[in-house]
Amino acid sequence: MAGQNIKEFDYDKLVIGEELGSYEYVLTQEMLDNFRAAVDDPEASFPTLAVKHDATAFAMVYEDNTGGVNAGNEVEFFNPPIPGKTIRVTGRVADKYLRRDKPYMVIEATAIDEDGRLLEKLRTYQMKKPDEVGKKWQT
Amino acid sequence: MADLKIELNQPIPSVSKKITQESINQFESCGILDRQNIHNNPELAKQRLGFAHPLASGRMSVAFAAESLRKFFGPEVFNHTGTVNLKFLRPVKDGDTITVTGNVSHQQEVDKGTLVTVSLFCENQDRDRTAIGDGTAII
Repeated sequence: MAGQNIKEFDYDKLVIGEELGSYEYVLTQEMLDNFRAAVDDPEASFPTLAVKHDATAFAMVYEDNTGGVNAGNEVEFFNPPIPGKTIRVTGRVADKYLRRDKPYMVIEATAIDEDGRLLEKLRTYQMKKPDEVGKKWQT
Repeated sequence: MADLKIELNQPIPSVSKKITQESINQFESCGILDRQNIHNNPELAKQRLGFAHPLASGRMSVAFAAESLRKFFGPEVFNHTGTVNLKFLRPVKDGDTITVTGNVSHQQEVDKGTLVTVSLFCENQDRDRTAIGDGTAII
């Protein structure tokens, strides 16, 4: 793990291009099995989706008491991760913007394994005013 | 896959998934950080969204869409050249059934073959769209 100092999240201070946490972990067969069970797909090949590489990188740098709602995801798949291999993740802030007066941030992460195989690139569009979504969709 | 003829508007295999709080929690447990969030903690969902129940991560729908695309293109193609791009429209929660459908919307010659684009739709049991977007692969 990166061991960075955790900062309190302040949207206004977020800088496009700033690096988020970088870290390593070993993907286990148990993680793959759990992911496949969670999505009811015995052939699912990217348990990394549930590890949430970008959000994890963000959480390693920021203490976020506001929370956010995931407005969208973009994922590129290059090679399925192999259980037992170490996965290295780097994250960054790709963008921030206002849309309809709501603040959004875009975080992204790239994952490679210990052999240098590119596994996955992931991008998340997160709206940092989650109560607005709650008002719209409260059930 | 090289022998498979793909035509515009061709449907991809649909997948339907029953969402339970158990499956949501299992998906969240795949992470490497032991985090409480709006997906696995009802109190946080209420505090941040005003919802009475946790929401499923949008990344679960990404995984469902990836399954549908993998079945269409084949794992040897999709797991190495595939993408999923989803915009989330409505919350997904315990008790919902999410169905992913799609059809081929575009084909374009690129350096490594033909880039096939599929329009994606995720709907709940009430036929409300929960996410839309597209997926691609190079054949």
